[in-house]
Amino acid sequence: MDFDIIFGNAARAGLGPQAAIFALAAIGLNLHFGYAGLLNFGQVGFMMLGAYGTAIVVATWGGSLWLGIPFGLGLCVAFALALGIPTLRLRSDYFAITTIAAAEILRLLIRSSPATDITGGPFGLQAIANSFFDLNFLPDGRFGWGTFSYSSNQLWVMIVAWILVVLCSALVLALIRSPWGRVVRAIREDEDAVLSLGKNTVAYKLQALVIGGVIGGLAGVIDALQQSGVGSENFEPQVTFFAWAALILGGLATTVGPVVGAVLFWFLREGVESFIRELSEQGWLPNALADFLDGAEGAISVVLMGVGLVALMALRPQGIFGRRRSLHLGT
Amino acid sequence: MSDATTIRPELTQAALEAAPPGRLKDDPILITFGMLKTFGGIRAVDIDHLEIERGTITAIIGPNGAGKTTLFNLLTGFDQPDRGSWRLDGRLLGGLPPHRIARLGMVRTFQLTKSLSRLTVLENMAVAAQTQRGERLERALLRWLWQPEEARLRERAQALLERFGLAHMAGDQAGTLSGGQRKLLEMARALMADPTLVMLDEPTAGVNPALTESLLEHIRELNAEGVTIVFVEHNMDVVMDISDWVVVMAAGRILTEGPPQEVVANEEVIDAYLGRPRDAADWEEAEDA
Ligand SMILES: Nc1ncnc2c1ncn2[C@@H]1O[C@H](COP(=O)(O)OP(=O)(O)O)[C@@H](O)[C@H]1O
Ligand SMILES: [Mg+2]
Repeated sequence: MDFDIIFGNAARAGLGPQAAIFALAAIGLNLHFGYAGLLNFGQVGFMMLGAYGTAIVVATWGGSLWLGIPFGLGLCVAFALALGIPTLRLRSDYFAITTIAAAEILRLLIRSSPATDITGGPFGLQAIANSFFDLNFLPDGRFGWGTFSYSSNQLWVMIVAWILVVLCSALVLALIRSPWGRVVRAIREDEDAVLSLGKNTVAYKLQALVIGGVIGGLAGVIDALQQSGVGSENFEPQVTFFAWAALILGGLATTVGPVVGAVLFWFLREGVESFIRELSEQGWLPNALADFLDGAEGAISVVLMGVGLVALMALRPQGIFGRRRSLHLGT
Repeated sequence: MSDATTIRPELTQAALEAAPPGRLKDDPILITFGMLKTFGGIRAVDIDHLEIERGTITAIIGPNGAGKTTLFNLLTGFDQPDRGSWRLDGRLLGGLPPHRIARLGMVRTFQLTKSLSRLTVLENMAVAAQTQRGERLERALLRWLWQPEEARLRERAQALLERFGLAHMAGDQAGTLSGGQRKLLEMARALMADPTLVMLDEPTAGVNPALTESLLEHIRELNAEGVTIVFVEHNMDVVMDISDWVVVMAAGRILTEGPPQEVVANEEVIDAYLGRPRDAADWEEAEDA
């Protein structure tokens, strides 16, 4: 049993671009749900628009990446408004249902054949990130030890992504500590009370939705950059749920919760997958079980993560960083 | 009566002349006319004409289901009437969303206390202050723009908390307060919004006698400072104690209104609300018919 390999794999995933992408998505969700109380089950929709908006400008229209990114984020603003304006006046469950449906409908539209000319349909779009990697000042080669190593370009994506994670965390923290954030947190507690104090709660919810959505869009942009392309299969509904898992793991309504949650999520997911693979390879498992697990290590890992999350909810429902007392005061 | 019709444009001269004694106020801050709200078949609120005199304490009494809370919801924009109009200081409020009505100076509390549990007591207060610069998203990050205002606001909040005996809990999460303290906080919070008219829905419900006493004292003080107060109350001792005017509701309608001493002596009120042997009530109804 080679724990170096397992740990190396786990650490590579926990610090890698995927973790940073999910950290960004979870930071957005944290603003939505942790602070504003908005149940957004369509965060992947924002990620998809950030990614596709960027890719379409570059690959389809031959524009600059530096125009593509703001275009993608602009689409996220539009999506937030389109989702929020009709539903945020209604009871909160209408909003929740709309988000999950809208994100999936959007994905199906993007991969549909009439959209192929623009989005690449089922084939996606490629070769969009050249001008991003042109800025890479790191030398070629691999960085790290053993399985815990990254290529120069991966490391470049990671540096940019983790800087964005820090900036977005700081942005949300500053917002939430301002009087604006006080109104937003008050709405989470009781919208009618806040209305009775003369605040236009729908406007605040909409603003929170837009900001958290744009942060989700940034996650999508990073995803498009690190793959230098986009494909609709990367934006299935489970992406949203993984981001939720990361957020809940780390703890709602905390600054570090979504970030640490995303790191842990990918660390554990990759670690468990790698562990199962090692077990089979070393012949420590009965043949029947090894055959059963073969090729399904990733799926099994996700299942175990789910079980672990349920256990966490039972033992420590506030997540790793959440305050238990706050949870009991929840309305 | 030309003056009376200018402040009550919805009312015809004939309706004005037919108004029951006491209904027309000298200086009404709130005038309601032809307000109807039905839920399915129930006429939850069906009020032809109601006025609230500026600077007074008005109690609304009536049995459960009389429509008191629904009336509050309608007046403050939390629910829409089937028909009817109402004016605050001459301004028509129909169709305005609740936050706009609150900004015009009519601030309400709720029958079921709505404390912002995971905000501190001080934050509960601060969030109620009106027109804060830092509440605008575009200024939220520009701390220096709102910091001085924030400091003043905290001072004012502290002073109010002091008055309501909650100052020592300013840093605690509101969810940790007792039921009575939450009622006090909700009222203090409403005041933080600088209202001209406060609508309190059962402010003393579930509050222990000692706290009730201090709550009533606050209501009196506030009123002395010129704030008009309308409150729903079931305890007749409280009503007799602090109100200048009593409106009695039953089955969505105004049964009668008047000074407290007059109202408690009213036969209909005794029937509908204060209670009397069932057969006696039946007998009265038979006589009416
Ligand atoms: N949202 C609602 N839906 C249906 N019926 C309601 C609703 N709100 C109030 N009612 C009905 O309207 C009537 C008045 O209720 P309410 O205003 O709460 O009375 P009160 O506050 O005087 O006890 C009651 O018959 C109640 O059942
Ligand atoms: Mg009521």
